[in-house]
Amino acid sequence: MPRTASPKNIVSAAVESAGIYLVALLLAAGCAMASPDFLTPESFLRILSAVSLLGIVAAGMAFVTYSGNMADLSIPSIIAFSGIVTVAALPLGLPLALVCGTLAGLAVGAMNGLVVGVLQANPILWTLSVAFFMEGFMRFAWSNNQLYPDTALGTPGASFIHIFRLTIAGIPLIVLVMLGLFVAGHFLMTRTRFGRESQLLGSCRAAALTSGIRVPKVVFCNFLLAAFAASIAGVFLTSMNKLGVFYLGQGYDFKAVTAVVLGGVMLSGGRGHLPGVFGGVLVIGLLTDLMQHLGVTAFRQNIVTGIVFIAAVGWQQYRLRAQGKDYA
Amino acid sequence: MESINLALSMQGVSKRFPGMLAVDNVDLDLHAGEVHAIMGENGAGKSTLMKIITGSFSDYTGVVKMGGRPVALHSPAAAKEYGIGMVYQELSLAPPISIAENLLAGRLPAGRLGLLDRKAMAREARHCLSEVGLDVDPFKTVEELSQHEAQLVEIAKVLGNRPCILIMDEPTSALSQDEVQRLFSMIRHLKNRGLAIVYISHHLPEVFEIADKVTVMRDGRKIATKEIHELTPRSLVQMMVGQDIDEFYRHREAKSGWLVLQVNNLTRLGFFHDVSFELHSGEILGIAGLSGSGRTELARSLCGLDPVDAGQVFLENAPLKPANYPDTLQRGLVYLTEDRKQEGLFLRLSVRRNVIASIFPLLTRFGIYRPEKETAVVRRWSETLGIAAASPDVGAGTLSGGNQQKVLLGKCLATNPEVLILDEPSRGVDVGAKRKIHEAVMALADSGAAVLLISSDLPELAGLSSRALILRNGRLLGILEKAELSEESLLLAANGHWEPSHA
Repeated sequence: MPRTASPKNIVSAAVESAGIYLVALLLAAGCAMASPDFLTPESFLRILSAVSLLGIVAAGMAFVTYSGNMADLSIPSIIAFSGIVTVAALPLGLPLALVCGTLAGLAVGAMNGLVVGVLQANPILWTLSVAFFMEGFMRFAWSNNQLYPDTALGTPGASFIHIFRLTIAGIPLIVLVMLGLFVAGHFLMTRTRFGRESQLLGSCRAAALTSGIRVPKVVFCNFLLAAFAASIAGVFLTSMNKLGVFYLGQGYDFKAVTAVVLGGVMLSGGRGHLPGVFGGVLVIGLLTDLMQHLGVTAFRQNIVTGIVFIAAVGWQQYRLRAQGKDYA
Repeated sequence: MESINLALSMQGVSKRFPGMLAVDNVDLDLHAGEVHAIMGENGAGKSTLMKIITGSFSDYTGVVKMGGRPVALHSPAAAKEYGIGMVYQELSLAPPISIAENLLAGRLPAGRLGLLDRKAMAREARHCLSEVGLDVDPFKTVEELSQHEAQLVEIAKVLGNRPCILIMDEPTSALSQDEVQRLFSMIRHLKNRGLAIVYISHHLPEVFEIADKVTVMRDGRKIATKEIHELTPRSLVQMMVGQDIDEFYRHREAKSGWLVLQVNNLTRLGFFHDVSFELHSGEILGIAGLSGSGRTELARSLCGLDPVDAGQVFLENAPLKPANYPDTLQRGLVYLTEDRKQEGLFLRLSVRRNVIASIFPLLTRFGIYRPEKETAVVRRWSETLGIAAASPDVGAGTLSGGNQQKVLLGKCLATNPEVLILDEPSRGVDVGAKRKIHEAVMALADSGAAVLLISSDLPELAGLSSRALILRNGRLLGILEKAELSEESLLLAANGHWEPSHA
């Protein structure tokens, strides 16, 4: 039977990633025990909106991992850059400012895609150096300053900081955007030529080349997608914080990779799917929520996230080894 | 009386891979002071048998005895312990490191502080090298050596473990005539010292020169072991190829239609030079050349996987863009790689995903993937090639070599190629799979496509080709016409002994 994105197969994909949802359920039970008022629609929405930023970033990052390029570590700088540029362009009016901010993020993604795809740079090292460069560049260009939008009533800035707080039929806009990205991403990954070729590339680059796949183009598009998602996250994050600044996206690279790996996308590429990644995002969100209920401080939360990442990668590697070298 | 110098004795040894019995109930005796050649076509089970002796498998069945006692050769370390050494076709030396360090790897002499004792290193390395008659500075790096010297170092390294059985896999493939003679005199010297030597080769003259005994394998079974003086080249070849050689290769009529592919003065410096030829529809054009002749490099540059330095390729009278395989593939020229595991198949993905890997442009409209055509394509090629998989959704990596190769061919055929370049299309596959592959290739040519066939398998090359280009050291020497094609003529031509019959 063909594996496609028919409703039945979305269900089967969900069943495959049942493990991560089971973990999410356990964590939810833990939250419910820690705080009796957890089991309400409000707190469900609260969790969803709390993980939305991470979810948006992870949905894009998943493409980079899936296509065998491990991770885009320049994501935090793309988040910050798109936010700063949006704020800086606000005098042009909100729509144009949003376009500028997104284009700024996409420009970084396009550069990553070109260098990794065409020049075959190591994706980790390249994006790491881009993150370093971009931080320096933003500090230089905006003289180390935080950039505040003019939020007087009726200005584009006022509408801008309202974006994060918008709700549609009681559901925050950011939650809808995240869900939309996951649905669109799942379609892209499973039902388009680009998604299928990304899987081939992630499974074996050499074989993708001898299959006549335009490898540089596919790599380029994957990095562009990750940057697109990060730019959207950058707009929301900047709107939430009411300021644009170079350090805004800090930590999202690692958390996103953790969510991607937890969701069953293999770091070696070619395997996994976005419903699983969504589960990974939920687990991280619930874990954070639970730790907050238990009064775990932010730094200790990082320790836990790190341990979760190590455990998830270890588990993946163990499973790959158990399957034999032809699958590694 | 013979049992006195019996070094190793195998009784009823078998090794099964998923889907095939690679070694089937083999008895084999190796004697000290003897060179024992193992012959057989590609895929006959020679390498698997040698891997058993060198401890690569922990799950072979049957008994191996050494010195009258059963031994368990379940790991390379165990085999080494029992005195079994193997010189591999691909040398196992590290090129940027000195000869001495390569030779003494794992037992480098160190002083009290853990510092290397260079004097002791030089002394021991020189001692090892003297055994193979090589007099070079042990602190030279391996990459500074010639192929022949590197091989001697490799042998010296293996001899350093004091083996009683030495296995050599195609040791002469990269050597000149002169170097072969020097290698042979060394082998005779080792033989006289009482080593049992196993010699694997495809070259008949070498075997008749150096071997005392020959064991012929076919389809995983031992056909016979004979003293060399009982054999003639003809009788040996007959044992190797079996009875049904002419039946197996339906000799095709050399048809050829319109000009499909024209190669003009194609050059990639250091690999092949000034190669020109034409390929016509319905034709299977062989390339006769030893490995290292530039045949694979020629094919890869021709299709655009590798760059070219000069020359042009015309497909249907229009030039191909250089180094752009996706474009070439879209235009109908497809390359089947010789390395199915590393760059041919997506071993982790299903058979289905592999078969359709090259035809996404056909299966999508406006970038949206339409799966309804996919099943028909996968079924067509699974049935045509007889891919034995429980379902198209099992992983390609779980299949046997023969079925993997069929999947790889299916991937190429699914593109409906106008020109198909086959690089070792039946390497390491069983006889049944080979037949299916040959049938499919002939059917493709009969339907009007042109095929360029690269193969080390001489019966395959002679049987399928309608003509054969002779490639040696990167240069095209000429063309063997159908009437002249035979295993002997191909082998001679590839080795440089070729007289144009109508010059």
